[in-house]
Amino acid sequence: MIDCPERQPTSDRNARPAGVLALVLMLLLLAGCASAPRLDDTTRQAVAPRVLLDDVPFHGQRDYQCGPASLAMTLQHDGVETDVDTLIPQVFTPGREGSVQPEMLATVRRHGRIPFVIEGRLDALLTELDAGHPLVVMQNLSLPAWPVWHYAVAIGYDLEAREMILHSGMEPQRIESFRPFDATWARSDRWAFVALSPGQLPATISPQAALQAIGDFEGVRGAEAALPAWESLSRRFPDHAMAHFALGNARHTAADLEGAISAFRDAVAADATLAPAWLNLGLALSSAERRDEAMEALERAAALPGRWQERSREALERVRDK
Amino acid sequence: MMKKICRFLSPLLIAALVLGSLPVAAAPAGGMITTQDALSAERAQSDRERIHAVLARDDVRDQLVAQGVDPAEVEARVAALSDAEAAQMAERLDQMPAGASVVGALFAVFVILLVTDILGLTNVFPFTR
Repeated sequence: MIDCPERQPTSDRNARPAGVLALVLMLLLLAGCASAPRLDDTTRQAVAPRVLLDDVPFHGQRDYQCGPASLAMTLQHDGVETDVDTLIPQVFTPGREGSVQPEMLATVRRHGRIPFVIEGRLDALLTELDAGHPLVVMQNLSLPAWPVWHYAVAIGYDLEAREMILHSGMEPQRIESFRPFDATWARSDRWAFVALSPGQLPATISPQAALQAIGDFEGVRGAEAALPAWESLSRRFPDHAMAHFALGNARHTAADLEGAISAFRDAVAADATLAPAWLNLGLALSSAERRDEAMEALERAAALPGRWQERSREALERVRDK
Repeated sequence: MMKKICRFLSPLLIAALVLGSLPVAAAPAGGMITTQDALSAERAQSDRERIHAVLARDDVRDQLVAQGVDPAEVEARVAALSDAEAAQMAERLDQMPAGASVVGALFAVFVILLVTDILGLTNVFPFTR
């Protein structure tokens, strides 16, 4: 049994003014949504007043293929030898007549670069451009009801003129004022990413987001490919225990046992409650035939309650019996 | 008789296949905890979710083929996705925004968009700058 909402009889006399009112309200609402984007004062002072990355190559899109074209521009800028024709079968989905966001990121990984989705703020966008990183941005050029999704490559800006510079569609170095750019970008929840070689990090990334991005890359390309990225991350965030932990694992896979031990030591120095780091430290020390130190580390791991406690106790038993 | 055997065997087979296709990250190098394991533990991801992620990849594979992607490319495309991305695509590939930028809109929509373009709310037509 479904309850139907009771309909009130509408009076025709009031319909027209009501319609006009609704239209005006809607326009006001739309205009309100798209108020001019504001920049933090700190960003304004930190970045150059005008940036143009004119070494980003341009590829005009063919039908529907702004995704592969945008990828070709960013990847080539970072030294990847590829072209639009190679990228089309890798990222374009014929049934959708377009390219979806997860596959844009996945294709970057296939070409040995790490995709970092940056925080969706104009400040972050400008800071990355100032650092020399072009960004793939997703826009909805139309209104939410009739979306026209579009990828473009942000290659510069002019603070004075309040303008973005983008390689977009068929137009190289297209100039879009901050306001329409931000309005169209906001409809994709301000989605943008940079594609960087392992070892390079975005200027604006949080440690958590970077861990995720590099971890996903490692899952696809393996620990040795990700090693330089972990090195940079642990240098950038020396207080972040997980960064050192991940570095230790990557070094261990690359058969650098002493390097792994020192990274795990940095991890437990940053956070003495990170049980996986104590456990891996103990196992690495045990492989290096340093039994006493290994026991000490494994005891610390086994003393920490949680998901890894059982495994730590087993490892401790094994090393003790050795 | 045959039916009984099948009924008994098929769940076992399914379990074996699912477990077999899980990434063999469980115990490399004497029980070390991998970065992925530690990260997913931080996010409190359960084993059930990981099995779910494996199934999601199969689903994405089928969906991509159905959407006209060259079957020879599908394997490599799915392999490059992270677990979270694969799950996201399995769930809603057909509603996801797909960057394409071609307007196939009606005339009424054209007029509205022209106005919003001039207001600087949208950016469909290059000549309204």
